[in-house]
Amino acid sequence: MARVYNWQLGRNMKYRFERGPTKRQFAAVFNINRCIACQTCTMACKSTWTHSPGQELMWWNNVETKPYGGYPANWDVKILALQEEKNPGRQTWDPSAGDPERAPYGRFEGKTIFETADGVDQMATGYLPSEEEWKAPNSFEDHATGWSPGGAQLPEHDQGWFFYMQRICNHCTYPACLAACPRNAIYKRPEDGIVLIDQERCRGYRKCVEACPYKKSMYRPTTHTSEKCIGCYPRVEGSDPLTDGRPMEPRCMAACVGKIRLMGLVRTEDDGTWSHDPTNPINFLVQEEKVALPLYPQLGTQPNIYYIPPRWVPRPYLRQMFGPGVDHAIDRYMHPSRELLAVLQLFRVSRHIIFSFKIRKGRKYEEVVVGGRKHSIYDDTVIGFDDKGNEVVRVNVKEPVFERPGKLNSI
Amino acid sequence: MTDMRKRRLSRPGLLTLAILAALGLRLAGANPAVSQTSVLSAYKVGGDDWLDPTSGGWKRIPSIEVPLSAQAGIYPSGGGSLATVEVRAAQRDGELYVWVGWDDPTKDVRSDAVERFADAIAIEFPAKASSSVPSVCMGQADSGVNIWQWRADGQNDLAPGYVLHDERSRPTVDFYSEEDRFYPAREVGNPYAKGGDNPVQNLVAHSFGSIGPADQQPVSGRGAWDGGWSVVFSRPFGSPAKGQPAFQDGQVIDVAFAVWNGSEGDRNGKKSVSSFVRLSIGDEQLPQGMSPLGWAILALGVAAALRLSRHA
Repeated sequence: MARVYNWQLGRNMKYRFERGPTKRQFAAVFNINRCIACQTCTMACKSTWTHSPGQELMWWNNVETKPYGGYPANWDVKILALQEEKNPGRQTWDPSAGDPERAPYGRFEGKTIFETADGVDQMATGYLPSEEEWKAPNSFEDHATGWSPGGAQLPEHDQGWFFYMQRICNHCTYPACLAACPRNAIYKRPEDGIVLIDQERCRGYRKCVEACPYKKSMYRPTTHTSEKCIGCYPRVEGSDPLTDGRPMEPRCMAACVGKIRLMGLVRTEDDGTWSHDPTNPINFLVQEEKVALPLYPQLGTQPNIYYIPPRWVPRPYLRQMFGPGVDHAIDRYMHPSRELLAVLQLFRVSRHIIFSFKIRKGRKYEEVVVGGRKHSIYDDTVIGFDDKGNEVVRVNVKEPVFERPGKLNSI
Repeated sequence: MTDMRKRRLSRPGLLTLAILAALGLRLAGANPAVSQTSVLSAYKVGGDDWLDPTSGGWKRIPSIEVPLSAQAGIYPSGGGSLATVEVRAAQRDGELYVWVGWDDPTKDVRSDAVERFADAIAIEFPAKASSSVPSVCMGQADSGVNIWQWRADGQNDLAPGYVLHDERSRPTVDFYSEEDRFYPAREVGNPYAKGGDNPVQNLVAHSFGSIGPADQQPVSGRGAWDGGWSVVFSRPFGSPAKGQPAFQDGQVIDVAFAVWNGSEGDRNGKKSVSSFVRLSIGDEQLPQGMSPLGWAILALGVAAALRLSRHA
């Protein structure tokens, strides 16, 4: 067992391997607040990668309704229960032990899935969901926790609430699937950190399905192998003919109707922390503003999909799901800085991956009051650039309004 | 009973009886010593369908019992649900046959759901001559192993009319493309995914996690279930490639066995394994049952011994 640094936990932890030579990491920010659960992402993925015999129950991208929904059923409740059973009452955080760069959420005092595993039968604590558990990917769709006869108001909908959780493979920095594979058939690409199952070497042992806490490694009976989200790597690396050689966002991101997704590649240091790169929109959202948080960081895999938490959901539930950074993240989202408001406009405005951005200041055009606090809104322009510094998109904070002349309205 | 006790055999009578009995047993094809050692003899045989595990010929070949245990190498993985396997070996016209039988009340022939694992058996040979025995656990860098694995799901997939995804998809799917490019594991030539016409895979390994298919697949096999499995492997004597042993008359080589019980969730290192046992590819002919001459000599011997004892 090696010792590696997990910045999301603010401490070293045990892992089967030393950290690999990943120089850039696939990462994305999903804004839960904007998702309408149209499942366009789900179908974009399905129709691209998993439409063939043996993949019927396979949804590399899925959107589930929390708190009751889950694909596979109850995946998160089950892994949290297993962890709690192995370290009862001690799966806690010390948020005060923080360091803005190396431990932004404080320190996790509990045990990761690698630390509760026996190292004999399992390299990471996990379980193998049965086929039945994969059969209803959108059960409990739109189910709230309760009925709010009097309606609900921010800051928390404490009577009845639900939200949509968009999930793909987290392309973890310390993947449990990779640690669990007895054949070393799973690898993490140095150039972008995408985690892949080598289809030539896989022998379908399903140890990865068992170990992945997010259950994003799936078994395909027609080939007796396991398959998983490949991060649309031909698009990310720019080798797909569609891309014209320029890195492009995966299908699920590019297809997002609700404009909730922004994908990027972040540079990483030898210890797995992110390089300081405040002009990369993902770094800006995660590191600088800390408005987007990892999903169940306490499991220890250092997942790389970051979520802007839903602002109406009771905080204890969100803290369990996203760690102690929740209150800060929601506060930043409710009361965004001038820069954050600009960067939030970059979601889904280009298929090409935005590697850096610049903000050109505009005039103040509005004053609003949110949660009792006054905000000035500026019509700033945010410009996104690709990996070679070419401009790929330019968008304003103030959405342009066009009025169609009445005489042209033929409806 | 008193009379019987008084009628003791004389020393010459006993000796004669022993010699004749041994001769009779020898001619009858029985070799009680073999079943008490861990040397597995590959008898020379003819005729018969030796690839058929239920063939009567296999019942005439003396077997040895090989103890199994949980896999407890440097990277233990559990397993150990089966205590022993029964093994037999034969050779015919330059081809080695190995028969393996074990009790298994649960017949696991499908791996078509995420939680369903299939039964399997593997036999392992050192890659090189047996003078340097590799680690039984997948060998080591300078001394690899050659593994033949038969899988119940592999054989089941070959059954006529069996379509793996039929049950699941038929009601809802109008059209599927069967092109290999939609089966990445097949497209890149993963033999485990490809199916084909052989339930046996010829594999090579030189350490944990290194096992992979050999370029050549000359090993045949067939399994049959009747309250337990019996499986036969066969391969021509000649080595198909480096890292896979050649066999020859008079050779003694190591062989080990591993069994996976699907119902126990066995797969990869989770299995029941043996140590290496010796396989003697001798030139012994398999006796074709008790010959009339054998019976006659045995009867004569017993009669002579009794007669001698009466005169003593």
